[in-house]
Amino acid sequence: METLTIVYFVYTFIAFYFLFIYILTYVQNRKQIHETITPDKIRSLSIVVPCYNEANSIGKNIEAFLESDYKGLKKLIVVDDCSTDNSYEIIKKYAKKYPQVIACQTPKNTGRAAGAKNYGAKFAKTELIGFSDADSFPNKDAISKMVGFFNDEKMGAVTSRVLVSNVKNKLTKIQLIEYKIIALTRKLLSFLDSIYVTNGPLSIYRKTAFDQVKGFDMKNMTEDIEITWHFVSKGWKVQMAIPAKVYSGVPETLKIWFKQRIRWNVGGLQTIAKYRKKIAKCGMLGLFIMPFFTFSWILGLTGLFFLGYRITQYLMVKFLVAKYSVAAQVALVSMEDFSLNPSILFLFGMVLFTFGMIYTVVALSHSKESGRIIGHSVLDIFIYSFFYLLMYPPLLIWSFLKYISGYNTW
Amino acid sequence: MLKSKKHVFWEALLITIAIFLIGFFLGMLIEAKNTSDISNLYLQSEIRLVDGMATSTLIGNSNLSCEDLKTSNIEFANRVYDEARLLEELESSGKLTQGMRYLHKKYDLLRTLLWMSNQETLSKCDNYNIVVYLYEYETEDNYKKATQNVWSKILLDLKKENQDVLLLPIAADQELTSLDLLMAEHEVTQLPAIVINNDKAIYELQNINQIQTLLN
Repeated sequence: METLTIVYFVYTFIAFYFLFIYILTYVQNRKQIHETITPDKIRSLSIVVPCYNEANSIGKNIEAFLESDYKGLKKLIVVDDCSTDNSYEIIKKYAKKYPQVIACQTPKNTGRAAGAKNYGAKFAKTELIGFSDADSFPNKDAISKMVGFFNDEKMGAVTSRVLVSNVKNKLTKIQLIEYKIIALTRKLLSFLDSIYVTNGPLSIYRKTAFDQVKGFDMKNMTEDIEITWHFVSKGWKVQMAIPAKVYSGVPETLKIWFKQRIRWNVGGLQTIAKYRKKIAKCGMLGLFIMPFFTFSWILGLTGLFFLGYRITQYLMVKFLVAKYSVAAQVALVSMEDFSLNPSILFLFGMVLFTFGMIYTVVALSHSKESGRIIGHSVLDIFIYSFFYLLMYPPLLIWSFLKYISGYNTW
Repeated sequence: MLKSKKHVFWEALLITIAIFLIGFFLGMLIEAKNTSDISNLYLQSEIRLVDGMATSTLIGNSNLSCEDLKTSNIEFANRVYDEARLLEELESSGKLTQGMRYLHKKYDLLRTLLWMSNQETLSKCDNYNIVVYLYEYETEDNYKKATQNVWSKILLDLKKENQDVLLLPIAADQELTSLDLLMAEHEVTQLPAIVINNDKAIYELQNINQIQTLLN
C-alpha cells in the first residue's frame, strides 16, 4: 500500500471516530438536549459587560439584561475600557436611570476584553457572576434557563447558545449555520463533560470558582477558552443550556472574519501550550478535550498539506501537459484522462461526507428560530459545506505562523 | 460521572473499526472481481498470442499471405491495447491489493512477446509498421509524467490515422529480463522512448509527423 494511502486511511479513521462519538452521544442523549433545570433557589447574580467603542450597541445590550425575567439579577456592571467614542456617556445615562446598572471605567485601556472583565468582576459580590459582550443581546428568559444547572454544587460554569443578530449577507448567513452546528456540538460535548469554551456573549460562573481560578487570563487572546480549561482542570463542571439564546453580532466582511478567526485560533494555541502538561491528566481535560483540540489541529494541517501536495502535483503535470500538447498539436484533454472507477478511498470519503451532511442537517433541525425544520437554503448549506469549512485549514496554518511569530494583539 | 461517559468512546471506536473492516472487505471484493475479470481477458489474449506466434512461424516457413498476418497481429495488438486501457483504469482505483500490478506486468510481458514475434514478420512483409512505446510506469518526475501523457495522445492519433501500425505501449521499468535485453539490443538508453520498426529509438517527440515520416 502506498504511503499516501496509509496516511489517508489514518486520517479517515480519526475523522470517523470523532464523528461517531458525536452521533452516538446524540442518539443516546437526544431527549435531554433541550432540557433545562428548575433552580432550587434564587441565586444572586451580577453580569459584567466589557465595552470598548460600542456606542451603537451598548444601550441595546443593557436594555436586554434589564428585561431579563430572572429575579436574582442584582447588578449589571458595565465596564468602559476607556472608549474613544461616547460609550461611557451612554452607560452613565443608564446607570443614572436604573439602580442595578453600575457604570465604571478602567483607569487606562486594558487592550482586551479580559482586562475589562476582571476589572468589573471586582464589583461583584454575588453567588454567581456572568459575562456578556457589548454587542450581544440575550433573550428575556436566557438567564433563567441557565441558572438551574447551578443546583449541582460542582457546577462551575454554564454557557448559552449564541445566534447571529446581524443576518445581512451571505457571510453572516453562513456563520448562522456554523453557530447552530457549534451549539449542538457543544451541547453534545457537555454530555461527555467536555465543553471546552464558555462563550463571550453570555456565560455564567459560580463566583467561588471564578475567584479560585483568579479570573480571566490577561495574556490569552481567547480568555473564554482558557477560563473553561482552567475550570475543568480544577474539577469544576461546565454545562450548556441550549434554550438560553443570546444574539450576537458576527463579522460582515471576510477581512474582519479572518482577523477574528486568527485571534480565536491563536488563543486556542496559547491555551494548548499553557495546559500541555495536563494531557492525560485532570479528567476529561487531559483525556478528551486536549487530545480532541490537538487532533483537530493535526487533522486540519495534515489534511491541508496532503491536499495541497496533491493539487500542486496535479496542476503542475496538467500545466506541462497543456504546454506540450499545444506544441505537439494534440488534444488538451482526452477521455483517457478521466477515470470513472471510484477507489475505496473515494468511497470512504463519500461515506464520511454523507455522515457529515446528516450531522449538519440534524444540527440545523434542532434550531428552529425560523419556524422551519432546517431554516436555511440548500445553497447556503452547500457553501458552508464545500467552501466555508475548507477555509479553516489555511486559517490554521496562518494562525500557527502568527502564533510562533508572537502575535498577541486584538 | 467521568466513568459513566466512557462507554461512548469505546462504542465509537468499535463502530469505526467495524466500518473500516466492512469497507476494506468490500474494497478487496471489488478489487478481486476486477482482477478476475482482467485475468479472464488476459487468458484469451495469451491464447491469441500463442496462436499468432505459431502463425508467424508458418509465415517464416511458407508463402502464406503477409497481409493476413499483418491484419491478425494488428487486430490482436488493438485488442491488447484496449484491455490495457481497461486495466489501467481499474488499476488506478485499486488501492488495497497488488493483483492489478501483477496483471499489468503480465500484459507488458505479453506485448514484449508480441514485439519479439514480429521481428521476422517485419523484415518479410512490406507496408508493415511496428511502433513500440517504452514508458516509465512508476515515475515521480512530473515532467516525465506530462511527457508520457502527451506521447500517449500523439500515438493514439497515429493509430487513428494509420490503421496498419502495430502499436505496442510497454512499461519498461518492470524488471522483465527479456524486455531489458530487447531494449539493450535496440540501444534504448532512456525512457520514455519510441522504437519505430526496430530501427530507431526516439527520445524527443515534436509531433505526429515526426513518426509518420519514419513509417514504411
